[in-house]
Amino acid sequence: MKLFTRYSRINFAATALVLLVGSLSFYVILRYVLIRQLDDTLRVEEAEIQDFVSKRDSLPPPANYKDQHVQFVARDEPVHRRFRSRVVYDDPDGEARPFRMLTFPVRAGGRYYMATVSKSQVETEDLLFLIVVLIIGIIVLLSIFQFIINRFLIRKMWQPFQETMQAIKQFNLSGKEATRFPPTRIEEFTELNGALNQMTEKILGDYQTLKHFTDNASHEMQTPLAVINSKLDLLIQDQGLNEKQIRQLQAMYDAVGRLSRLNQSLLLMTKIENEQFLETEPVDLKELTEKKLVELEDLVQAGGLTLTASLESVRTAMNPFLADILLNNLLINAIRHNVAGGSIAVTLRAGEFRVRNTGNPLPFEEQQLFDRFQKGPRSQGVGLGLAIVRQICDHMHLVVGHEYAEGWHSFSIRF
Amino acid sequence: MKLLIVEDEKSLSDGMASYLKQENYLCDQADTYRMALEKIESFEYDCILLDINLHDGNGLDILRTLKEESKTEGVIIISARNSLDDKVSGLELGADDYLAKPFHLSELRARVEAVIRRKKLAGTSLLRYNELSIDTQGRTVSVQGRLVELTRKEYQLLLYFAYNKGRVVSKNAIAEHLWGDDMGGSANYDFIYTHIKNLRKKLLEAGSQDYIQSVYGMGYKFAAP
Repeated sequence: MKLFTRYSRINFAATALVLLVGSLSFYVILRYVLIRQLDDTLRVEEAEIQDFVSKRDSLPPPANYKDQHVQFVARDEPVHRRFRSRVVYDDPDGEARPFRMLTFPVRAGGRYYMATVSKSQVETEDLLFLIVVLIIGIIVLLSIFQFIINRFLIRKMWQPFQETMQAIKQFNLSGKEATRFPPTRIEEFTELNGALNQMTEKILGDYQTLKHFTDNASHEMQTPLAVINSKLDLLIQDQGLNEKQIRQLQAMYDAVGRLSRLNQSLLLMTKIENEQFLETEPVDLKELTEKKLVELEDLVQAGGLTLTASLESVRTAMNPFLADILLNNLLINAIRHNVAGGSIAVTLRAGEFRVRNTGNPLPFEEQQLFDRFQKGPRSQGVGLGLAIVRQICDHMHLVVGHEYAEGWHSFSIRF
Repeated sequence: MKLLIVEDEKSLSDGMASYLKQENYLCDQADTYRMALEKIESFEYDCILLDINLHDGNGLDILRTLKEESKTEGVIIISARNSLDDKVSGLELGADDYLAKPFHLSELRARVEAVIRRKKLAGTSLLRYNELSIDTQGRTVSVQGRLVELTRKEYQLLLYFAYNKGRVVSKNAIAEHLWGDDMGGSANYDFIYTHIKNLRKKLLEAGSQDYIQSVYGMGYKFAAP
C-alpha cells in the first residue's frame, strides 16, 4: 500500500470518527439546551397560571394554540410536578407531533386539578435534523477534497521523490559521472537528496580507491615476480641439479607464470573498466579469426582436436586490441575445456560470431559462467578468461551468450 | 659489447647482469636515475636496459637525454607498467624494444641480441657455429653453405636457442616467446616438443651436429662452441 494511501485512510477514519463523536455530543448537548429553553417557557406559563389561580381562586380558561396547550383535569389528590416529552396524535391531520409538557398541581375552588402545559417540540427536532444533515455533508465534502488532494496535489508534491528514485535506479558505479541529486522545494526531499549525494560520493570514492589499489597492487607485484623469474632462470643453469630439484623448479616456474598471467588479466580488466580502450576502428573479423586460428593451431593439435571454421567476411567497428583478446579468450576456452579428440566449430556471419566445442556439462550454475574466478575443478586457467570476455562485451555493447546441448558448448557474440 | 642495466630493484638487476655476462659482454649497473645519467655521460654503451619507474626519476627522461645528445645506444625499456601508453611513448622516444615485467632472462637476452644485430653493432648479421650459420637479416639458416628449409616457428626457435647459447632455456620461456602469454599455462608443452623434434631432424639431415640438447624436465640448451 502506498504511504499516502495508508496515511489518508487512517486520516479519513480518524476524521470521520471525530466528526461522528463530535456531532453526537453536539446533538446531545444542543438537545439538552433546547429542551431546557422549552422547559423555561413552560415554567413561565406555570407561574402565570398559579398567579391567576391564587388571585381568583378559579382556573383560567384552557387555551389551545397550534404550539401550546393548557389543560386542567380534576383530581382527588394533588399530583407530582414533572416534565415529560411525549408524542401526541391530537393534530387535526393525525400527524404525530412531539410535545414537551409540564404537569403540576393546582388547587382552585377547594378542588385539586392536574394542570398540563405543553409546547410543541417540532422546531427543536427540525433544528437538530438540520445539524445532522450538515455534519454528514461536511464528512462527504471532506472525503471528496481528500480524494482530489491525494490524486493531484500529492502526486505533484511527491514528484521530487519519484525523480530521486529514478536517479537511484540508474546509479552506476562504473559510470563516468557521479549521479547528482539536486535540491528540491520540499525540505525533506532536499535532505534526502543531500544524504544520497554524500553516500554516492563516498561509494564512488571508496570504489576509486579500491580500483587504484587493484591497479597499484598488480603493478607492484610485477617486479617481485620478475625477480623470482630471473632467479629461477639462473638456477636452472646449474648443472648439478637432480631430478627432484628440477621437478620442484618446474612447479615454481608454472606457479610464477600463473601468477603473472593472473596479474596481467587483473590489470587488463582494470584498464577496460577505466575505459582506456575507447577508440574504435573497422576490424576485419574474418582476417582476425584466421590469424588467431593459425596462432592457436599448435594448441589445437596438442589437444588432438578437430577444428572447422566457416567464416564470412565481416567488418565491424571495434577496438582492435579488445577484439583480439575477445576472440583469443573464446577460442582458448574452447580448446581448454574440450574433451580428448573433441571438436571445435567456429562460425562467423553478419552480426554473429559463434564458437562451439565439445565438452562436459558445466560443473557450476550457468549464470556463474562469466563470473570472475569461476572455473571447473580441473581447469588450468586463472579463471578470468570468460570474465574478461563479458567485460569486453559489456564495454562494447555486444551480447554474449552460452548454451549447452548434446555435449556441445556454444558461445555466441552478437554485434 | 657493453651493456648498462638501469633498474632500482637490486636483485633483479643482479640477476639480469649475471645472465647476460659472457665472454664478450660487460654489464654495468645503475640503480638510480642520477647514477644512470652519470654513467651515460661518462661511458659508451651498446645497449641500455631501462626501467622507466625509478624512484628518483622517470626512465623516459633518460631516453630523451639520449636522443638530445644523439647517442646511438640501443635501448630496451623494461617496465612494470605493461601499458600501451608507456610502450608507445617509449618507442616514439627512440627505444628499440619494450619488455614488460615479469620476463624470462632468456627472452631479455634474445631481445638484447636482436637489438644489437639490428643496429649492426655486432658487425655482422651472421651467427656461425661451425657448419651451422644463421642469417638474422635474411632470416635463413644454412648448414655447410646449403640452405635448410625451416618453418617460421622452427627458425624462431633456433634463433632463440642461439641467442641463449650455452644456457638452459625453460619450456615456459620458449612457450611464451613463440606463442605469447596466452599459451602459457597449458597442461603440456607437447607442442613445443613437436617443433623442436622437427627442427633437430632437419638440421641433422642437413649434416649439422646436434647442438640442441634436451635438459631433463627443464628445457633445452644450445650447446655450440
